[in-house]
Amino acid sequence: MDETVAEYIRRTVLKIPRDEIKSMLQKWGFLSEKQLQTINFHQIKENVSQDVVQLCEANSADIKQAAVLDIIYNHIYPNKRVWSVYQMNKTGEETEIFDLTDFKKKFKRQLQSALKNVTISFREYEDNAIWIRIAWGTPYKKPNQYKTSYVVYHSQTPYVFISASVLKSNLPLLCQALVLASNYHDIREMELRSHSLNSLKDIVFKRYSQNFQTYHPRPLQERNVAPESTDVRIIQENRNEKERIQRVNREVFGDGPQPKLEFAQYKLETMFKSDPKMDVLDKKEPFRCLVKFYSPHLLESLKALAPAGIADAPLSPLLTCIPQKARNYFKIREKKGLFPGSFVSP
Amino acid sequence: GRALAVPTDRGGLTSAFPLAGGSPGKMEEGKACSPDGVLAHLEMLEARAHEAAVKQEEVEQQEQKLARLKARVQELRVQRDELQAKVDLQEKGQLGKEGVVSNPVQPSARDVLEWKIKSIKATLQIFYLTGISGKLTKRGVCFCISTAYEGTYLDSYYLELLTKPEVRIHRHSVPIFIPLEQMAKNYLQTDIRSFLSVLSDHLNAYVGRRYQADQLQEHFSEQIEGTLQRNSLCNLLVFNYNVSKKSKSFPFNVRLLYGDLCCSLPTEVIVSCTPGSPTSLAETAAAHSDLFRRVALHKAFLSFSSAEEN
Repeated sequence: MDETVAEYIRRTVLKIPRDEIKSMLQKWGFLSEKQLQTINFHQIKENVSQDVVQLCEANSADIKQAAVLDIIYNHIYPNKRVWSVYQMNKTGEETEIFDLTDFKKKFKRQLQSALKNVTISFREYEDNAIWIRIAWGTPYKKPNQYKTSYVVYHSQTPYVFISASVLKSNLPLLCQALVLASNYHDIREMELRSHSLNSLKDIVFKRYSQNFQTYHPRPLQERNVAPESTDVRIIQENRNEKERIQRVNREVFGDGPQPKLEFAQYKLETMFKSDPKMDVLDKKEPFRCLVKFYSPHLLESLKALAPAGIADAPLSPLLTCIPQKARNYFKIREKKGLFPGSFVSP
Repeated sequence: GRALAVPTDRGGLTSAFPLAGGSPGKMEEGKACSPDGVLAHLEMLEARAHEAAVKQEEVEQQEQKLARLKARVQELRVQRDELQAKVDLQEKGQLGKEGVVSNPVQPSARDVLEWKIKSIKATLQIFYLTGISGKLTKRGVCFCISTAYEGTYLDSYYLELLTKPEVRIHRHSVPIFIPLEQMAKNYLQTDIRSFLSVLSDHLNAYVGRRYQADQLQEHFSEQIEGTLQRNSLCNLLVFNYNVSKKSKSFPFNVRLLYGDLCCSLPTEVIVSCTPGSPTSLAETAAAHSDLFRRVALHKAFLSFSSAEEN
């Protein structure tokens, strides 16, 4: 077994949390159950990984099998990477008959014809997701297994989720291979990025909870409502307002959990509007400003703003349109009004 | 393997059992030549007779059912006439002693309200069960398309439309691989009924195909060898399977293509045998190919796995 392969397997196993190593190796299926039983998974990870490497040596593992282990790891822990969403376009109206074997063949052929030194691995999952792992090399160097790009594609959809590596220069090649293999015409990057792959899928596949008005009531989910104080002396002064806020919030955000995004970025290209008497700027040029919201769970925190009394309900549509517009990067320009110079005092 | 591509426009009633009535000349030969030929001929005649008996029984059952239903219709007509007569009597003010409550109790306002609410809920439930229901919103209308396959209710999908300045889709929960934009382009502005009908057909067919594939994986996993290759729309399934749980030596490969997205049965079926299979399996493969085109996937598996057991 190649030394580089051994080292790669060792490092991959070290990344896995100790309690998960056995189940992940079982999913991998490269080592037999008997072989797995010979490993003591309670020792320190260094030793566990050494044992695994030795067994892989016995089975003569090559880079292809090692790559599969890497895919399995990334599939279980996708949130360690940042994912961007790309959208493909096609003009034809033919019924899509997606043939997986055909797709894989075309993708591999396209990529390998342009770049010989590249490792391509596929793995399909139950939810029709195709995971592609690409390790990039150059015309003169073997593929660098530590600089990998991941692509997740659901058949017959126009969206591709890419976690690119540091080598951005290979992106056009990757995009071209995807477009050709999936029978689309072109591809563009959307303004949507996050660590949570599943949330990105929820947003573009419209799987998140949207509150649709319907006569057929769906069962309301049990919510932990703090028991109201039964003391008659305590009166809720703002009960009406509170209820209005709850209602408006539900209309906007729906009942279910929100997709998980970590940030939203607003790039302002608008003119600074000040009291004309206090003319702050000499030159009337756009005030360049970037506003970025960070949160472990941005949409849930936006949902909690109005009930917490921090913001008025309804919230600005710039914040609430994020899942529907499927973007978290915005450019805000001047509204083209009737009087462009309206900030100047009359 | 030998690929047996059976053409799609094969109409008429074809049975699942291949009739060995190919060439009469062959039968003559068998009869004249050896006792084995005679036995085979007798078997074939027996099979034919059995089939004819089964068909006869079916026809008889149908006739019985029809007679029963006709009798029921008669009964209901008599009942209706009786009730109509009673209503007429009441209207004329001639109350007889039979069948009329002597002290009709005036229903309270609360009772009436409760009855109205119950009645409206039932109507809305009926609308929902028909598969397409809607509710007017402030700026348009929100449709709910609920899908079902052979008696099992499956997912519901929502579509919110705005009506001004023109009819357009505001938001929806239709899966991305359903060609919604195309349908909207073709029908939304001109004929909303057709639009909803086409969309409902697509969604129902999709959940039907998905249901069949899921049922197959759930109940017949021992017969499937390797993975079942499918895609998001469930319109192409490729897999290997064993005809029976016992003989696993010559699995079939099947490629089911559902060319019509509004249909939950395949338009093209290719069943091929592994190389080296006995020639008798070729007939079975052809029979299966035909069966898959007519019958739901999981039901087809049920029928030939139960045929095996007999």
